[in-house]
Amino acid sequence: MDSLDCRRFGQMTATALATLKARADELSGLDAETGDGDHGTAIVTAMTAIDRVAQQGTDLKQALGDMGFAAMTEACGSTSTLIGALFLGMSDGVQGDALNAADTAAMFSAGLKKVKEQTKAAIGDKTMMDALQPAVEAMEANTDQDIPTMLQAAADAAATGAEKTKQMVAKFGRARNLGERVIGHLDAGAVSTACIFEAFARGFTASA
Amino acid sequence: MTTQKLTMKKFLNDPNDIAAELLEGYTLAYANKVSLMSEKIVVRANPKPEDKVALVTLGGAGHEPALSGFVGEGMLDASVVGDIFAAPGAPKLLEALRAFNRDAGVLLVVLNHAGDVMSANMAMELAKREGLNVRMLLTHEDISAGLDTPDEDRRGLAGCVPLYKVAGAAAEAGKSLDEVIEIAERFNKQMATLAVAMTGATHPQNGQAISELPDDEMEIGMGQHGEAGGGRTKILSADETAEKMIEPLVQSVDAKSGDQTMLIINGVGATTLMEMNLVFRKAYRLLEAKGIDVVSGMIDEILTVQEMAGFQMILCKLDADHIPLMKAPCDTPYWTVR
Repeated sequence: MDSLDCRRFGQMTATALATLKARADELSGLDAETGDGDHGTAIVTAMTAIDRVAQQGTDLKQALGDMGFAAMTEACGSTSTLIGALFLGMSDGVQGDALNAADTAAMFSAGLKKVKEQTKAAIGDKTMMDALQPAVEAMEANTDQDIPTMLQAAADAAATGAEKTKQMVAKFGRARNLGERVIGHLDAGAVSTACIFEAFARGFTASA
Repeated sequence: MTTQKLTMKKFLNDPNDIAAELLEGYTLAYANKVSLMSEKIVVRANPKPEDKVALVTLGGAGHEPALSGFVGEGMLDASVVGDIFAAPGAPKLLEALRAFNRDAGVLLVVLNHAGDVMSANMAMELAKREGLNVRMLLTHEDISAGLDTPDEDRRGLAGCVPLYKVAGAAAEAGKSLDEVIEIAERFNKQMATLAVAMTGATHPQNGQAISELPDDEMEIGMGQHGEAGGGRTKILSADETAEKMIEPLVQSVDAKSGDQTMLIINGVGATTLMEMNLVFRKAYRLLEAKGIDVVSGMIDEILTVQEMAGFQMILCKLDADHIPLMKAPCDTPYWTVR
């Protein structure tokens, strides 16, 4: 069975970067509806830093930590800390350099835990958490599958979660002052997170 | 990014370089007062002695002259700048905290916005691990979400600027970190800000319009970045607007007859000084009628939001400690007292 190593992780981040770049304007547009319209720029900057480190990585645990720090150094705004924390946490949760499905799920769980230390946002608050948490939970529920199947389940859960933000009132960030006026608008952070998990699933398979 | 199109009527180069280029221009223009310690960290040209508390702040660019405009003698020691409207990442902030770490201590002033607070918390965690002598103060004086809103849901607007003045003067006077924090926190609790907007702003990196308003409407409660907030209404006169804004501000700081206050009208970009003078006049007269003494006034652009039309009205109740600190000398590019 295929395992996750540094090389494959690099393929995942490269796919994520290409996908985010292609959708940057769309993400900034979503953000402008309820925030200040810079999410596309911010997430591309963060993923550019992450991917550059990922391509040079040899030890997955070390590389993930470096990716998190690079994202925080080069990106700005909430995205800087949240994406940085995700990768720092993933580094904490990695053991070894050839992960099976359960190891991979554990890595993302540790990432989610670290993000939760930075923000009180929970499911239903119209943030990236609405995509991130379902994605990680889908992995945890599919550790008996192979990695591509598990990553696809995560991607599907993230997409469903992001879509649900359309009906939500924002409790965090700049959108919270809009009250019910944000209903009908997708959260840009949830959409970019779903975009990353979709790309991770595709990127892993592409490298098989 | 290559996909970006510049369709705005703004004088720009590469949108990704705006923050770095503006700081370069700024520090060249005011080289006698400020300089760049490293990319995106603005510091005093003449450093404060090591035996005094250092004041550091952080925030996004695009709000000029804030926040770096207030680096200098008697106010900030360092301003750590992010990207347009976006906080700097924690590693950049840590770099500044390390540089200013000292026995006297460092006070990090943070405006309550999600990104700024997250970067600051992460940097504080890293600073603690290194044993740096840093404490953090959060400003949250915006009352647009209502007077009963908990502090964590109130944003930090332009009130940070008079707070830098008070805390900076206390630090300059040789007060201890505990004393500086106590004085600044007291000031923090005694100030309130309300913002009003007539038009939205354009994000200079991507041309996205932020919170457009219909031609005949204005909005009281619009935030620092033009995030839509509180109440939309048809356009009111200068007097009516001042009247609508001063009441909740007075209530928020509990200003009473005999109290001494500072009143600031901060233009956010496209509103003229002419209009701001009209608004100040009415706000002053309303306070006067209540017996509230405005001992210090300011009509200026201290924290802007691109070409947004509107202003922030800031009311600060001053106590016996704060008045001399407000009058103490300072020498920064955008606030000077001699």
